[in-house]
Amino acid sequence: MGEYIDKRHESFLKKNKRHKILVLTAQAGVLAVFAALWEISAALGWIDPFLMSSPSRIWNTLAELYADGALFYHIWISLYETILGFVIGTAAGTAVAVIMWWSRSVREVLQPYVVVLNSLPKIALGPVIIVWAGTGQKAIVFMAVLISVIVTIITMLGGFMQTSPEKILLMRAMNAGKLQIFTKLVFPSNMSTLASCLKINVGMAWIGSIMGEYLVSRAGLGYLIVYGGQVFQMDLVMACTIVLCLLAGGMYFLVALLERFMVRWQS
Amino acid sequence: MNSILTLDNVSMTYYTKKTRTEAIKNLSFDVKQGEFISVLGPSGCGKTTLLSLISGTLRPTSGRILLDGAEITGTSTDVGYMLQRDHLFEWRTIYKNITLGLEIQHKKSKENLEHCDRLIEEYGLKDFVRHYPSQLSGGMRQRVALIRTLALSPKVLLLDEPFSALDFQTRLHVCDDVYAIIKKEGITAVLVTHDISEAISMSDRIAILTARPATLKRMHRVGLGHVATPLMRREAPSFSAQFETLWKEVAADG
Repeated sequence: MGEYIDKRHESFLKKNKRHKILVLTAQAGVLAVFAALWEISAALGWIDPFLMSSPSRIWNTLAELYADGALFYHIWISLYETILGFVIGTAAGTAVAVIMWWSRSVREVLQPYVVVLNSLPKIALGPVIIVWAGTGQKAIVFMAVLISVIVTIITMLGGFMQTSPEKILLMRAMNAGKLQIFTKLVFPSNMSTLASCLKINVGMAWIGSIMGEYLVSRAGLGYLIVYGGQVFQMDLVMACTIVLCLLAGGMYFLVALLERFMVRWQS
Repeated sequence: MNSILTLDNVSMTYYTKKTRTEAIKNLSFDVKQGEFISVLGPSGCGKTTLLSLISGTLRPTSGRILLDGAEITGTSTDVGYMLQRDHLFEWRTIYKNITLGLEIQHKKSKENLEHCDRLIEEYGLKDFVRHYPSQLSGGMRQRVALIRTLALSPKVLLLDEPFSALDFQTRLHVCDDVYAIIKKEGITAVLVTHDISEAISMSDRIAILTARPATLKRMHRVGLGHVATPLMRREAPSFSAQFETLWKEVAADG
């Protein structure tokens, strides 16, 4: 009987593994087929490679960029702006959310402003940012912060406010003060909120930095994309877009790893 | 025996923007040292309000509540509070959950931690101290919640339908478990419930409240103190007769 169950278990595990391999293969397959079709279409003249580019041309462009050291120079600049915006935006947004949780008056006063700022397309503030922060990296980081900070405030405050009232009552019955209620209950119980906020902000910070680079910069992936578009070098545009995909995906992956650590008590 | 807890003409009125709700009106009764009292009443009659008043998280509109002769004016560790769900903190280990109260009070002295260790050992939680709550069964979690409350050595323990989130089988078992621990530690307990059989099986006396505004309708003496456990009390000859009486009294108010 035991052996029988073990065999069933084994086949279950095998099935699971087979499924995983199937999904991974299919995922790689989609990419390969897409790239192959694109390459063939360009080679046979079905599409104009000057307008649509092609995988091989993208690859060559990347190799050239790498050879003259431009690739990592631009990657580093964009990455620096994004990470700085991400960190400042998340930290500042969380700090504001803490203050708004703490004081009902502050919360009620600020609420409409947060709602309006959230709906406002931040790019509309571009000219203002340029005038205030100049046309350098400061303006780009400012844009990344601006985009991530509001959504952070809303998400974190929402999490804080949803803390179980019974648990708060329990803390109060144990004679806990407001600071203890925050540090021992409200904040730790919102670790998963913070984690999803970080995930959202990866995207937000990239939008901010690339948008900022479109507006003002002389370097970075966003700059290369705009430049490529202006001089009709679609190979450059496509190459940079792909690098951007890889960077954003990698950053999201790191945040997902961090999340696993943050909510490690969930098993 | 001395009264450890005295409610003296307690009234509580809530105010909201549009209404004024009288939750409790002129409620008086005594609880003696080591006694187990249940508060039974129709739902929404202000039972939980009563516990909030005793725990000091709410202040009565009028009247006084005395604990060991001193008026309750705010929260204190003399009163322990157990809620409907265990409300263990999922991100803390069992040990850290149990010592939460001491941590909040800045009372993690050697003596107090030894008291925790004794409770942990005595009530079979030693193997779980490094576990997280999600790894424990519902009954076990409720036991941890009780030990967390007892870690602060309260004089009075308040229980707000502490078994209502459990399924029936587990509930009977946990009921016995909690009762045994309370009796062994000699703690005075006030249980709020709408479950009549639970009230009979656990208490020495039952305070029957009227519908809102809650006031004392009658104090019922159970008289099953000689029977060892709540589960065995459910088998006692007078159990069903008592159930009948109480059921009619509570139902009369709807």
